[in-house]
Amino acid sequence: MRKSAVIYTLDSCVKCLKCVRACPVSALTMNADSRIEIDGEKCLNCARCITTCHSKGLLGQGSTLEDIPNYDYSICMVPPALINVCSTKEEADEMMYAIKQLGFDEVVDISPVYGQIMNEYFNLADHYVEGTMITSFCPVVNRYIQTKYPMLLDNLAPINYPSEIAAKMIREQHKDKGNVGIFHCCECEALLELAKYPYLNEEYETDHALAIVDIFPKIRKHLKENKMKCDYNLQGLQSVNPSMILQKENYLIADGFEKITNILDLAEFDMLKDFKLLYLFACFNGCVGGHLLFGNSYLYRNNVYPLTKNGSSEVTSLPFDDIYSDFISLNAEDKRSFKEKMAFFAKVNEQLEKLPGYDCSACGLQTCRIMAEEIAKGNKTLDHCHILALAKEKENETT
Amino acid sequence: MNSVIHEKYTVAQDDFANAGKASSHIKEHLKEIGVDPQVLRRIAVACYESEINLIIHAYGGDINMDVFDDGSIQLVFKDKGPGIDDIEKAMTPGFSTASEKARSMGFGAGMGLPNIKRVSDEFDIQSSPEGTTITLLFRESK
Repeated sequence: MRKSAVIYTLDSCVKCLKCVRACPVSALTMNADSRIEIDGEKCLNCARCITTCHSKGLLGQGSTLEDIPNYDYSICMVPPALINVCSTKEEADEMMYAIKQLGFDEVVDISPVYGQIMNEYFNLADHYVEGTMITSFCPVVNRYIQTKYPMLLDNLAPINYPSEIAAKMIREQHKDKGNVGIFHCCECEALLELAKYPYLNEEYETDHALAIVDIFPKIRKHLKENKMKCDYNLQGLQSVNPSMILQKENYLIADGFEKITNILDLAEFDMLKDFKLLYLFACFNGCVGGHLLFGNSYLYRNNVYPLTKNGSSEVTSLPFDDIYSDFISLNAEDKRSFKEKMAFFAKVNEQLEKLPGYDCSACGLQTCRIMAEEIAKGNKTLDHCHILALAKEKENETT
Repeated sequence: MNSVIHEKYTVAQDDFANAGKASSHIKEHLKEIGVDPQVLRRIAVACYESEINLIIHAYGGDINMDVFDDGSIQLVFKDKGPGIDDIEKAMTPGFSTASEKARSMGFGAGMGLPNIKRVSDEFDIQSSPEGTTITLLFRESK
């Protein structure tokens, strides 16, 4: 069973159901005990539920620094989104030093890997003959396609995540250092999943995913103390910033969940076939808009300009046979026959007609359609609908 | 062959604001039923093109979708005119009678009908000045 990177904190929840309504894939429900349940198989880790919540009822949880001593040699990977927070080269150097003070043996800036992957996207897209290529930087976009857009699966660029490719390279480079622990500073909830801990996803090369907001108070204490050279790669910094990516006639670069939904819908109708590349970010302003990155993403977006003065635009080459990874459908195989599926669909429609259609979520389910499905499965009855119950009550009063 | 699921949508002439909405509903519902992605992709393309045709070329019309018990899916696009003068010409790739307004919005490349025919398993078109009816059939796999 997959676990969502979004954790429910019962104590502060005011049961307003805003999170249930905010979920783009209907992964949240409120159960009979008035607790929010998150379906890990459906959840995209897009954090829309967290940002909608006014009472801190939900949070994205990462690993902790307490795990550093468990390794002979610990390495922290710094993503380009975090370097984009700095407005000068000096600040970036200070940030690298401050992160090292958290107890790591080494801090590695992985922006060159991002830069190289972006170039590989361009390369793949320009040579892709079967239509439009969709890039796979963003785990939310990938998971969205893997669960909701089966028609577009073949168009997903078969490239692994930058953090994974970087972790593989780092492990290879440090194989003589004994038990090496690789930590990743994550700018969004979706990246928290791409590590062995805290969600026990053994298939990943990265050991621990840290939420930047969690460790930032500790980083801050060491800022301005000293410097450590950060040779960030400019293309890497640009690759996570939608306003900075190479604009070309047949490239479509878009950020924000509504926009990407709209784009994927059109792509399914083959209406974007004139584009060679769809470069999509679930977060507004791209990775610098990641929810675990504190602060103002508009400023971070433009920090690339001052940082450009000192960065390197040379891209190191990657071990190319090790960067590919296929994205397959994440939906469980439906063993029902076509007849059974249609019969169920008809049954759901029949129940749906009896429901008010307000999608108010008062029953704890996001939409009337999901309620109709639950009734069709026999898990709920029409009596669970609050609106119908209210109507019944009124009727009883008048008679 | 019995129809198990029937849905009807009405599309108005020049209603560019709602272009593609009926197709979106049809696509979502067929996804829900669990139609094979490759088949669904062909249906989506044909349905969208045809819906746009009702808006651009016809005085509006109806879309009727039927899912049959053998798993095949039928789409019927029935409009209220003005009819197609020369069907053979209309089926030629690149031929278009779309208005400037439609072209400026990115429609009317003259690939509509040939594309629709290409992606569907059965294609039938009947036209008179009173209206055109296009019937498409899709089977589970082509």
